[in-house]
Amino acid sequence: MAIKLDYVARETATNLTRNVTLTLASILTVVVSLTLFGSAMMLNQGVNNANDRFKGGIEFIVYLQPGSTQEQQDSVRRDLEANPDVREITYVDQDATYEEFKRLFGDSPQLVETVTPEILPPSFRIAPRVQDPDIVQELGRQFEDKAGVYDVVFAFEVVKRIQETFNKIGVRFLLAAVLLLVAALMLILNTIRVAMFARRREIEVMKLVGATNWFIRVPFIVEGIIQTLLGAAVAVASMTFVIRPFIDELSQDKVLPIFQGFEVTDANLVFTNLLVVVVAVVIGAIGSAVAVSRFLDV
Amino acid sequence: MITLENVSKVYKGDVTALSDATVEIDKGEFVFLVGASGSGKSTFLRLVNKEESPERGRIFVAGKDIATLSSWKVPYLRRNIGSVFQDYKLLTNKTVYENVAFALEVIGRPRHVIKTQVPAILDLVGLAKKVGNFPNELSGGEQQRVSIARAFVNRPLILLADEPTGNLDPATSVGIMRLLDRINRTGTTVLMATHDRSIVDTMRRRVIELDRGSIIRDQSRGVYE
Repeated sequence: MAIKLDYVARETATNLTRNVTLTLASILTVVVSLTLFGSAMMLNQGVNNANDRFKGGIEFIVYLQPGSTQEQQDSVRRDLEANPDVREITYVDQDATYEEFKRLFGDSPQLVETVTPEILPPSFRIAPRVQDPDIVQELGRQFEDKAGVYDVVFAFEVVKRIQETFNKIGVRFLLAAVLLLVAALMLILNTIRVAMFARRREIEVMKLVGATNWFIRVPFIVEGIIQTLLGAAVAVASMTFVIRPFIDELSQDKVLPIFQGFEVTDANLVFTNLLVVVVAVVIGAIGSAVAVSRFLDV
Repeated sequence: MITLENVSKVYKGDVTALSDATVEIDKGEFVFLVGASGSGKSTFLRLVNKEESPERGRIFVAGKDIATLSSWKVPYLRRNIGSVFQDYKLLTNKTVYENVAFALEVIGRPRHVIKTQVPAILDLVGLAKKVGNFPNELSGGEQQRVSIARAFVNRPLILLADEPTGNLDPATSVGIMRLLDRINRTGTTVLMATHDRSIVDTMRRRVIELDRGSIIRDQSRGVYE
């Protein structure tokens, strides 16, 4: 039997307006949970994109001791130049390092005040010819014990740290999102249950005159899905117009270099938004389906 | 039309609602179910439209064994059975017309069918002038007429009535009984549970008496006793 569209539309509209507060509560929960979920997804994609960039120019830095002699520095440079795996060497002297330091810690003037160019290490920034992290690491390690060398730092260590940090943040975001999604699911379930309770007389009559189960159920399931879709619409809007510009802004921010290289592409955004909509439909369908199957026996 | 074979129904806590009941009701019969409260009259009716299932025995409605009926087919069974209750079960937020139309709408009848059948049935029950009224603007007798119109608008084979005159004064009850009699004359089998002695005694139709779940009397052209 065909279920009439105008009937479903009319019934659903009545249901949605009958419990405005409860409906709003579930929609808002859906908004918050899906926004969190989507943000975690986008942040994760942003980190991946950032890592991709580092991969292209993977490099390590040989920091020299601030008090190293010119002779020691020349020796390190000669060895680097002689190494066939090294493509490019950039020397950053103490004044340039100080400028960089000032830029990085511009928001902590006290810290900058305690530092002078003399105590900062000059460094060689190396772009290797090969990109295999293992070979790069081996290459860098050769310089660790050389006279006048303070430390060798690999870019991918930094990348790794960023990745780990954001994985931790992402996992927490996702966990919070999942908890909120469960809350949203239970709220939907209860909204539908209240809607069914409000209409128990009609449901009783419908059963009595021989309306099929699906005929009775469909408006309630549609109601649940519409609630989560409304929530998803707001979540998609906030991710497109708030969260994504915010991540873009962070990636431009010189004060927080950890976000540098972050990029959320249009494809990432579309994918995330689609996923959010799919999750919304699934949550709405499950919540209302459980409600109708538990509280609407033949 | 309705056949019960050794049907027993026991509710939780060992309450026997019906025990080993065997009865056959033919098409077009008018049958009164009488007996004290709790004797099993309502259970009898609820078994026929499968609101309940028996513990033992078999029930045939219109030639089909409804014990083996899968749950998705139950709505189709109920489309052949109209039900009328003591408390009318009308939807208070719908008009007389909408209450009756609702019964057709939810089983997917096309709009043009609804538009012709609803006024016709309301005319039959004598409420042509009250189509736009809400149930709380009607008397008890009128509300019961709406309920009967709703039960009969789909022309069911069977009409189940559970104390339809229970809330009505004697004069109004007579009007309702005339209506049920008229419906019965169209060939619809009517099964009515009642406590109303005068109605049973006046109508002189088949009477099935229940006592604590057992059929203790089955009499054609019977009286209430």
